This record gives sequence, structure tokens and C-alpha cells, in this order.
Amino acid sequence: MLTIAKNIYDYRELMATLAWKNIALRYKQAYLGIAWAVLKPVTLMLIFTLVKSFVGIDSGDIPYPILVFAALMPWTFFQESASDGVNSVVGNTALIKKIYFPREIFPITSVLTKLVELGINFLILAGLMVWYQMMPSVYILWVPLIIAYTVLAALTIAFVGAAVNVYYRDVGAAMPVLLSLLMYTSPVIYPLQLVKDKLLVQQAAGEWSNMLYTLYTLNPLAGIIDAFQNVVLRSQPPDLATLIPGALMIAVLLPLSYIYFKRAENYFADVI
Amino acid sequence: MPVIEVSHLIKEYRLGAMHGLKQTLLNTGARLMGKKVPERPLFKALDDVSFSIEAGEVVGIIGHNGAGKSTLLKMLAKISTPTRGSVTANGRIAPLIEVGAGFVPDFTGRENVYLNGAILGMSRQEIDKKFDEIVDFAEMAEFIDTPVKRYSSGMQVKLAFAVATSVESEILIVDEVLAVGDLAFQRKCFDRMEDIIKGQGRTILLVSHNIRQVERMCNRVILMDHGKVAADGPATEVCELFYQQSNIKIQAQAQHAATARVSGSGEVTIDSIDVLDDAGHPVNEIESGGRLRVRIRFTLLHDLEGIEIVAGTHRTDFIYISSASTRDVLPNAAFSRGPHEIEYIVPTFPLAAGTYSVRLVFLDRNWRFLFNGESLKTFTVKAKRLQTMNSQWKTVDLPSELRVDGTLYALPQ
Repeated sequence: MLTIAKNIYDYRELMATLAWKNIALRYKQAYLGIAWAVLKPVTLMLIFTLVKSFVGIDSGDIPYPILVFAALMPWTFFQESASDGVNSVVGNTALIKKIYFPREIFPITSVLTKLVELGINFLILAGLMVWYQMMPSVYILWVPLIIAYTVLAALTIAFVGAAVNVYYRDVGAAMPVLLSLLMYTSPVIYPLQLVKDKLLVQQAAGEWSNMLYTLYTLNPLAGIIDAFQNVVLRSQPPDLATLIPGALMIAVLLPLSYIYFKRAENYFADVI
Repeated sequence: MPVIEVSHLIKEYRLGAMHGLKQTLLNTGARLMGKKVPERPLFKALDDVSFSIEAGEVVGIIGHNGAGKSTLLKMLAKISTPTRGSVTANGRIAPLIEVGAGFVPDFTGRENVYLNGAILGMSRQEIDKKFDEIVDFAEMAEFIDTPVKRYSSGMQVKLAFAVATSVESEILIVDEVLAVGDLAFQRKCFDRMEDIIKGQGRTILLVSHNIRQVERMCNRVILMDHGKVAADGPATEVCELFYQQSNIKIQAQAQHAATARVSGSGEVTIDSIDVLDDAGHPVNEIESGGRLRVRIRFTLLHDLEGIEIVAGTHRTDFIYISSASTRDVLPNAAFSRGPHEIEYIVPTFPLAAGTYSVRLVFLDRNWRFLFNGESLKTFTVKAKRLQTMNSQWKTVDLPSELRVDGTLYALPQ
């Protein structure tokens, strides 16, 4: 644990430079530049709002567009950092074969890069809050913690995925499919309250209901999205009951994922 | 204490392609069921390599293609991990392995200097401090804010070289980078390397196919052959050994590749062509300035009168060197049907070390070609003494004298 922290500290400048490279490269020859970073969640927000007008999703007392945007922010961040992280090692073949630095820098840098884009999305969120005349509460101080947790969740997938992807490119190809599946099992389009109502209040699945709910909350994104909406929009503290199952899973899987990555990294240059 | 310590280093690679996911799953299944799974054969790229390098040493690593030089460098630079054995390095290593590996085409020269510097382990302040020097050395001040994709390949390499050599590391690993840019820039690179080597006292590992360069810059050379250390010692000795090995290899290739070019009327068939030593035994190698003796055995289909036989030598690039004609000694030679033998002798064959071939022409009295053949027999001329830089710059070894400030010196032959 200490060596990881030391590595990250020692190579902070390199990671900053590589993250800057990723961002600059992405928007270098684009007329809209960094605006592309907000285009995805904003477009999805508009689409979901449109869909919502047909199917009817109860968003409680929060206007649906801002609710779905607050879900899309952590979701898009998680989704993009996980999939970029998985492809980060293979995408840097030239560097892997020519020079050594701790290889975890690649997935970590991918996540850092997305953090910058997430930051830009906060501006849009602030704009929406002004539009809907919502005041942030003191609970907004939870945001950094929630984002740190999201980073760890993304890294859990990125480490193991990046390592396996070196051997089997199938992983890189499968990521978009798996992640879009995950989106529907996360409270992005619908608020978590609907799932709670169905399973915990109405006991829709009979005696299985409570277990199904725990299973649902094993997905770290369930806790993350709900907590983010709570602290930003609902002026409430995060619901720990939904956070804990996912957090426990990440606490177990992240070290395993990292150990696997460090073992595999010795052979990256030979196999890639 | 040695700066680099390599002990019993072994690196194995699996030959053949990697299996897909399906095959791997099937194999794992089979293994679980207790069945044997065919393993891909192993290839030892490095086989029990051990050596240590002291601080300040400049060590060259030479060897034929595939001898394991680059694999060794990868181990030293920690890019790849040994299968067995260990590599320990005390100090920061800056690998100059293929300059410009991290260049991003869309970035300007300035951005790439910062990026590449960071990749090579320089801090931002360090790059800030050295930026002007880097740009100045690369002669790129005018283009530094232009994207690298608009650079010529020479410009890219110049910039990359400038960045890479400004890293302040205890150990510098250089792989075939000096042959970059135009002649003037190569000179500059060379000077910079010499400055790093001589002036800064860093430990340097240089891998190159340019043996002259290695011989000149290094004080110690390691010769790799088939993944093993074939020789390790003073530069001149090891380089000389490598030359001998190379010559043998070149000769083998030349003899293999130099298929005889033959045309003729069919009236003459060549039975054998041999290069002989003084005792009359066939050899493949003679000494520069020594006696060349070529024995040609041929058979005539019918009696031939007034024919001319010309024997000679040529270089592998078909520059004719020598020739001798029977017409000059036997203007009206008549040969009966059946086998004959002639010998072509050059008492002192003064050519510089290299590979040469025998050519042969048979003409009748009307200058009609009965036989015309080139590259009929390939042989090597080996240098009498240790080769020096100077031996590249000559075709023939002529007895020479030098008068230096009035004193006459005869050069050893």
C-alpha cells in the first residue's frame, strides 16, 4: 500500500503530463475543443428527458433533467475512465516497449484525464442548479469523497481489464457492451427510490426482495449515483445502507485487481 | 561496488503465436481433466549471461542480429523481466532506446520536449532549465511551435536526441541512435556522446552495429552470440574477434549467394576450380599480400585450336581486379579433346581484406565466347595485421612509405 502511494507520488509529474497530453490530444484539432467533454452527458440528458415524457418516470420533487444529469455525471466519469483505463496499456504499446516506469501509471492517468472532464461537467451542473433555483447544502462537502470512491471503483475494473487486455483483446472489445449493461442496472435513467419502492416497500419479488436489493446495491454505481444525487440535489447525507455493499466489494476486489496487474506487468513488453 | 550487476540472466520466449481465448479455455479445461496439453517450444534469447559494470565504464555491446543485444538492454532498462537470474542497477537509468518513442505527432515541438522529458523522468523545472539548450542543440528554434507531424523525419530525430541526452542519469543506455540526421548533425551527436562519456563520467552502455564507433568510444566491449557472452574485454580485442566472426559469416553467405553466372557454347565444361595454398591443398582464405593460386580443371568436347583462356578475379560487386590470358604466352594454343588443367597464380595478391571471386573466359580464334563465367569460386582475403580505421579506406594494399618531417618511414606490409 505504501509503495503504491510512493510510486504515485514519485511519478506525479509524469502522470500530470500524460493526462495533459491525453486531454490536449483529444481536443487539439477539434473546433469545439473541450466542449466535447460536456456534450455527451448533456445530449444523454436531453434524450432521457425526452424518453421520460413518453414512459413516465417518477423523479420525486426534483426536476427530471437535473436528476438525470446528476446521475450521468458520475456514471459517464466511471464508464469512460473504466473503458479508457482498460485500453490504456495496449494503447501505449510504443512506450511500454521502449521505456520503464510503473505500468499502473497508464490506467491511473486515464482516470485522471476523465477527472478533468468531470470537473467541466460541474459547471453545467451549477448552471442547471441556478436554472432550477436549487441551493447547495452543506452536504455538498461529501462530493470529493464520493468521487474518490468512484475513482477506486473505476480503477478496480481498469487494472484487471488492462492487464487481461494485453493478452486477450477481447476485453477491450467487450467493455462497451458490459458497461452499457451496467448502466441499466444502475440508477441512471431512473432514481434509486423506484427500486427501493419496488423491492423494499412493495416486496415485489416476494421473499427474495431484500436479497435482490442487496444484490442491486453490490453494484457500486448504485450507491455512488444515489449518494451524489442526495448530497447535491436533495440536501441529504448519503444513504450508507446503499453505499456499503458496493464499497465492501470494491475494498476486496481493488487489491486483488491491483496485484494481478502488477504480476502481469512484467510480461507486458513481451506479449503486447 | 558495481553500478550494474547481471548474474545468470536467462530470458526465454515462447515461440509461435499466442492462443486465442477459446484455445486457452480449452487447454485449461484439458489440464484440469488431467490431460497433457502441447506446450509451445521455448527459445532462449539470453542464456546464462553474467557480467558487472563499474561506475564510469563505457561498455559497448556488439553481436550479430538476433544475438540478444536488444533483449539484454530491455532487461537492463527494466522494460522486460528476466525468466531467471537477476539484474541490479544502482542509479537512474535513461534509456535512449529508439529516440522519439513517445513523440506525439499532433503536438508542437515545445509540447513534445516537455512530454518526452517527463517520460524520460525529468521534472518540469529540469526541463524548463534545459529547454533552450535542447532547442539550440537540435537547431529547431524556428520550428519549435510547429506540430511535430509537419517535421521531416530528420528533424524529429534531432529533437528527440537532444531531449534524451539532456537527461541527467547515472546510467545511460544507447541503442543505435547515433546514425541519425545529416552528416553535420551526426558529427554533433558524436561529439555530444563523447562529451557525456569523457566529460561527465557517467556509466554508458552502447549497442551498435557500427563496430568502428564502438571501438572508438568504449573502453570495454561485450560480444554477444546466440544469447551468450562470447567475449568480454578490451574494445580492440573483442572488436577484432567480431570482425573475424563476421568475415566467416560473410564468406559463408557470399559463397552461398554468389551463384555462378555462366554462359557458353557448351564446348567447354568446368570440372573444378580451387584456390590452393602453397602445399597444394584447397583453401577458402588467403592472406592479404600472399600468394593466390587458382587451379582450374576443365574438359573439352572436341579438339580446339587457337583458343584463348582468360582467368581473373573480381570483387563481389563485379569490379574486375585482375586477369591473365593464355594468348600472351601461347598465341596459338591447341587443346585436344578431353580433360586439362591450368593454374592461375598471382605471387602477391595485394588486395585489402574482403571477399573476392574467380572469373574465367574461353574464346576461340574468332573471339567467339566458348565459355564465360563469373563468381565461379569465392574466397576471402584476410588482413595480415589488426584492422584499423584505415583499412576501410582502401582496395589494394600497396607497399608505401611516409616521410614525416624529413624522416622516412616504411609502412609495415
